[in-house]
Amino acid sequence: MISRVADHCFWFGRYVERTEATARTLAASASFALDAELPAAQVWRPVLVVSGEEDEFRTRIAGGSDDHPAWGDGEVVQRFMVWDDDNGVSLVRSLGGARWNARSIREVLSLEAWEAVNEIHLWALGEPGRTMYAQHRDTFYQHVRRATQLTLGLLRSTMLHDEPLDFVWLGVLLERVSQTARMLDVHHHAFTNLPARPDGGEVVETALWLTLLRALSGSEAYLKRAGGRVSSHGVARFLVSEAAFPRSIAYCVHSAYERLCDIRPPEQHELPGGVSLEQLRVLDAWVAARNQEPLAGAAVHELLTHVVDEVHEICGTLGKELLGA
Amino acid sequence: MGQSQSQSQSQGLVGLFDGYAPLPGTFDEMFDASGAPRPAFARAAQLLAKMTPEDFARAQQLAETALLQQGVTFSVYGDARGTEKIFPFCLFPRLIAADDFRRIERGLQQRLRALGMFLDDIYGDQRILAEGIIPPEMLFGAAGYRPMLNGIKPPGGVRIHIAGIDLIRDPEGTWRVLEDNLRTPSGVSYVVENRVISKRMFPRVFDAARVHRVDHYPTRLAETLRSVSPIAGDDACAVVLTPGPYNSAYFEHSFLARTMGLELVQAPDLYVDGDKVYCRTTRGPKRVDVIYRRTDEAFLDPEVFNKDSVLGVAGLMRAYAAGNVALANAPGNGVADDKALYPFVPDMIEFYLAEQPILEQVRTYVCLFDDDRQYVLEHLPEMVVKAVDEAGGYGMLMGPQASADERDEFRRRIEAEPRRYIAQPRVELSSCPTWCAGHVEPRRVDLRPYVLTSREGPWVLPGGLTRVALVRGSYVVNSSQGGGSKDTWVLKETA
Repeated sequence: MISRVADHCFWFGRYVERTEATARTLAASASFALDAELPAAQVWRPVLVVSGEEDEFRTRIAGGSDDHPAWGDGEVVQRFMVWDDDNGVSLVRSLGGARWNARSIREVLSLEAWEAVNEIHLWALGEPGRTMYAQHRDTFYQHVRRATQLTLGLLRSTMLHDEPLDFVWLGVLLERVSQTARMLDVHHHAFTNLPARPDGGEVVETALWLTLLRALSGSEAYLKRAGGRVSSHGVARFLVSEAAFPRSIAYCVHSAYERLCDIRPPEQHELPGGVSLEQLRVLDAWVAARNQEPLAGAAVHELLTHVVDEVHEICGTLGKELLGA
Repeated sequence: MGQSQSQSQSQGLVGLFDGYAPLPGTFDEMFDASGAPRPAFARAAQLLAKMTPEDFARAQQLAETALLQQGVTFSVYGDARGTEKIFPFCLFPRLIAADDFRRIERGLQQRLRALGMFLDDIYGDQRILAEGIIPPEMLFGAAGYRPMLNGIKPPGGVRIHIAGIDLIRDPEGTWRVLEDNLRTPSGVSYVVENRVISKRMFPRVFDAARVHRVDHYPTRLAETLRSVSPIAGDDACAVVLTPGPYNSAYFEHSFLARTMGLELVQAPDLYVDGDKVYCRTTRGPKRVDVIYRRTDEAFLDPEVFNKDSVLGVAGLMRAYAAGNVALANAPGNGVADDKALYPFVPDMIEFYLAEQPILEQVRTYVCLFDDDRQYVLEHLPEMVVKAVDEAGGYGMLMGPQASADERDEFRRRIEAEPRRYIAQPRVELSSCPTWCAGHVEPRRVDLRPYVLTSREGPWVLPGGLTRVALVRGSYVVNSSQGGGSKDTWVLKETA
């Protein structure tokens, strides 16, 4: 497979996954804001922190200040995270990135998968999408999510299960690891440092954790595993270690390792990709070993930081070894 | 039965074709001068006429949406945001009768054989110059002539693997070759995609009309490419080389790669080592045997052509000259589709094949010849004058529309440099019923059939790209100037 094509496949997967994650996060936050009984900035600011565009928002939107009302203005935050062309992780930028990469490898994707990406791109950036956004916000996010899920489903059900799909999926999984890790990190920090409230504090905390789980499409899965008990420790453990949950860190890292093993079999030492493979194997083993350790307080932050840093490192090595960077 | 059929026919024609009037002095593809449908198309015309304008408008709208959603688009140059547009499409099909196309097919095969032999000769012994058939100054002035390719024999012996020949039809209905495209002709993806749409929109009419299929073109193209591989058969690695997603024809490049199951590569994916071409893959280098290149030859290899090209593959021409890679189309073909050589194609056919040309072309005056020049200068108001070394409508005089000053200017230019100019009478292009905002009107069309030449010889796709001048009164079918396309239905022989 051509390295440049592999690169487009990888980034196509990342952008599709990122589009979906953005839509899911914004929908969950918008819903949460309705009955949060929290200062609005505490609902919306984490969205910006997770996106990594907090500084960009402060400079361009919030007049350089941390007390600016924009931080708590859901409309402003959503506009920034959906439509802002200068925000590198806005929904339109991710969607554009997915579509551009797909267009560069149209002959590699199945026709159905390409059409799904092209249609959602045309829809979201055209009149129908803007109207839907203005009139039925939640339906807009739902439509975007469904279209990206349709795309990922079509890829698996209509493409050859060989190298190009492996690269797409590797991109999806590594993007998903980062998304889950950053979401959990930001929210874990915010929720466990809430000021003590004489009444209803626990209710709010439960609602916060459920919002996080919903943003990761994991509330049902979690409640099944936890028998309906919601706790910070339980949620963190679930999102880090639950081997059967397709958005947990353990699942994504392990699946990414499996995809890379298919791309570059461990025994074929003459092929490029050996360093990436080893890095991913080590991370997989490291995450699995964390299952044996308590997970609370600062340990959560350290663990998640390590995961995010390692994934970043692995993506760099992959680029050099296999993607022609 | 006969009675009721002819009755429903005349009633039906009132429907969608209500008020349709063929242009005076123009051959209409669908209707004869009396307004009756041409016999071969009677059945299809009858069924089409039964649609209401509302039905048709809805189908046209659906067709455009489908093309946009499938991304059947071309990129608009000079637009930083990478804007893409659909090639304007008229759902009303253009029909070609079986016996008409049989003649076109034979004529194109003959023409392609002669043009191929001409290229072999020009890059070989140049017999056609030695025997005085073509004046040497016409050749040596042709921009597409590449003397550095002299003596190089292409792998498989084929040079014009893919040709798109532009045909027009004069007021008598005679098919004439207007132009040969022997370098990187485009448009065939629209032929295949337009067909998908019209089958979906008109299943009944299409079925009744008995139309030749076109969707096997990519398979035939892949066979053609494999047939010229320097290494045998199934192990040959063929790729499609594109300048990239910003190229206006990128959709077509990716379409062809996808439908042939070949890799679509860009120049940086390839490199040359030891006069062999390799592709950079995730599993290391992979040898490439055949390249269907959609990059202009000026940008193919910075060692030989344009030194500043970043689109090129350094050393590609060395690998080609060593016989290690086949290039489709071969570099150097531009000399055979040069305006300066076009007037001599009938002579080539007689010279190389000892046959009479089957297809007519447009009468062309070569200003280098005294008699021709004199005729042109005396008839400038009727002539289209073209500079042989310019393209895209530049360096042209449209005699009938030009001012007296413009004509005088061209008179001076022709007298100063007669070799640079050829002239043709303007031909009234044929017209075809075309959907124009709510009803059907005649609009002028041309036809680009596609010819694939493998080791076994030329094959003509029974179809082609019909381009239509959508603007009323226009003769320009080019998409950048208000042109669009139609599905072309080549009808099967009646059983």
